[in-house]
Amino acid sequence: MNIDHDPLWVKVAKKVRTWARLNSLWAVHFNSGSCNGCDIEILATLTPRYDVERFGIKLEGSPRHADVLIVTGPVTRQARERLIRTYEQMPEPKFVISVGSCSISGGVFEGCYNVGGAVDEVIPVDVFIPGCPPRPEAIVDGIIQLITHLEKGNPPPSQSKQAAEKAPA
Amino acid sequence: MKNIEQDLKKAEELLTGWNREASHPETNRLDIVVTVDDLRPAVTALHDAKWGYLSAITGLDLGVEAGQMEALYHFCNGPAITTLRIRQPRGDVSRLPTIEDIIPPATFFEREMHEMLGFHFTGARSSDRLFISDDWPEGVYPMRADFKVEQAQAVEDRRADEMPEEGVIGGNTFVVPIGPQHPALKEPGHFEFTVDGEVVTAARMRLGYAHRGIEKAAESRNWIQNLYLFERVCGICSHVHTMAYAMGVEKLAQVEVPMRAQAIRQIVAGLERLHSHLLWLGVAAHEAGFDTLFMYSWRDRETVMNLLEQVTGNRVNYSANVLGGVKCDIGLEQARLIKEGLNFLETRIRHYLEVVTTDAMFLNRTRNVGTITYDEAERFGLLGPTARASGLVRDVRIEAPYGAYSQFPISAVTETNGDLEARCVVRLNELLVSCFAIRTLLDNLPDGPLTTRMPRKIPAGETISRVEAPRGELFYYIKSAGGETPARVHVRTPSLCNWVSVLEKAVGRQLADVPMLIAGMDPCFSCNDRLVTVAQPAGRRTWSWKELREYGIEYYK
Repeated sequence: MNIDHDPLWVKVAKKVRTWARLNSLWAVHFNSGSCNGCDIEILATLTPRYDVERFGIKLEGSPRHADVLIVTGPVTRQARERLIRTYEQMPEPKFVISVGSCSISGGVFEGCYNVGGAVDEVIPVDVFIPGCPPRPEAIVDGIIQLITHLEKGNPPPSQSKQAAEKAPA
Repeated sequence: MKNIEQDLKKAEELLTGWNREASHPETNRLDIVVTVDDLRPAVTALHDAKWGYLSAITGLDLGVEAGQMEALYHFCNGPAITTLRIRQPRGDVSRLPTIEDIIPPATFFEREMHEMLGFHFTGARSSDRLFISDDWPEGVYPMRADFKVEQAQAVEDRRADEMPEEGVIGGNTFVVPIGPQHPALKEPGHFEFTVDGEVVTAARMRLGYAHRGIEKAAESRNWIQNLYLFERVCGICSHVHTMAYAMGVEKLAQVEVPMRAQAIRQIVAGLERLHSHLLWLGVAAHEAGFDTLFMYSWRDRETVMNLLEQVTGNRVNYSANVLGGVKCDIGLEQARLIKEGLNFLETRIRHYLEVVTTDAMFLNRTRNVGTITYDEAERFGLLGPTARASGLVRDVRIEAPYGAYSQFPISAVTETNGDLEARCVVRLNELLVSCFAIRTLLDNLPDGPLTTRMPRKIPAGETISRVEAPRGELFYYIKSAGGETPARVHVRTPSLCNWVSVLEKAVGRQLADVPMLIAGMDPCFSCNDRLVTVAQPAGRRTWSWKELREYGIEYYK
């Protein structure tokens, strides 16, 4: 009998994997045309006062090693392709957090000729963190929301949304 | 004031041969119309006489009916500004001679003019795109008056792939692309360094990943909405952007801002400089592999963030300015808190000064690296702390005091070595000066109202507003047609001028120095995702920025 098909083994393996993942979310940060305000707040969450490393979160340089993609800014024409490429380079399962008002709707840059619009029009997004820029506490809260959601064994929100759309009415 | 008159008179004398029409739009400005053929000799005359420096080139489209475009070359000498104005017909025939061989930083200004307005520069070295995207159609210029978004349908990428297919150029030469995401710059940029072995032999760069089209958007929003738009040009120096914009609009409206408001603007600007330089120190330390310093300086930066939040209610985009004044007051309790914070910060800054000048490992990465001499700094047109580290005093607060700086002057901070160490020392010393200045302002805060009444429509006219941002001179050109929206706002940020030095200084250095060089020139954290491909004879290898940084640290062990 193949051990992969043993229901107990599958259950245990899933549990171990979730446990490991939730305690070591590695994030890659992508600036798709932001004003930098969100970016410095994201960095502030990594530094001693807010210290998200206590949740096992680490900022990683390469998308190939990352679980979470943190996107800031409206998607500019030039950054669009690079955002998709960065997303595609990440291994499954992957989660996307969109930080800041302009990454959610275009914000103050809505209607500018070089701005494509929201991040979720380009790649699926799991967590939206509004604010211009959001406070570090809000960013920490967004990350915790993702963790608690996954902790319950739920699929990532972006996938459940897609699933809901695909389901027959 | 006599000085300004003398300077302007001298500029007029220098330009006598080419002067078609001269006017004084403001007391500190001289506006001279020259013909296209006379541009180069006129620029040479000003440049050779060392009359100031080229601060910006503004392009204007006067509209389809007028059928004309204008190019304005702004030279700044202290508070005096001389503008060379060239009128050209609209359309593809708008040709101008390049001046990049006379003044190197003009390259970036000219490329911006070409991409935004469609001026053609004869004799320019490069026609690569710098700001607009690769899929932007040819012959469509966003800043033209008759531009419509529909015109900008995407065409096939001019450069299908960002990374060169084959990094090997020939022999032992390889191209190392860095970016498009980059840590040490405001905007995410893309660099290509050609290396021979370990040594960089050529450098190229591409911007525009964060180009959003703010200047165009400003033309369709009213004067007040624009205040919040320009705040979001940059999240790190958001206050100085609104300050430059507000000062320009107030000048156009001929509104006198109350002294108390000016002092509060200056206090917030000082706090912003504190947060910006501490942020930079952390980034520079991080690139050098000194993460302890990174964490400490960012921990201390939170003190400033608290103070900014105390005063304005926000941590990053403060919105402290409104047209005609400021929105927030500083009471006795707040003044006490600020002073307490400054006491703590001053001891920390003194400690960091000791660290960056004595720590052997850090000095290895900074001393005599990327040295820029006084003459080079002048030739590259550097601004801000980068210029001051080479002994060149480029500081609007001192050269052309604005707002409260005329009553509360600050002292100039310079160093002479011009290397990365000098840039650290200049920035840290500047913070001590800022602390002192904030204290003086708090002790002598003038009484009075916070705002004055501003008209909804701003009278027609054009003005130039310059403010010293943490990274150097920030230049705003504002033109009003008398309506509720501006006719044109042109922003020239200090980073645009300082990039020249990165490209020039990387050549001849080790690849391992590149992260520090970029961090030292003009640092603004942008992002942590980037890939570096180092082509090697054995094949291609992809390095993350982290690996490159570690390689740099390893190299200097």
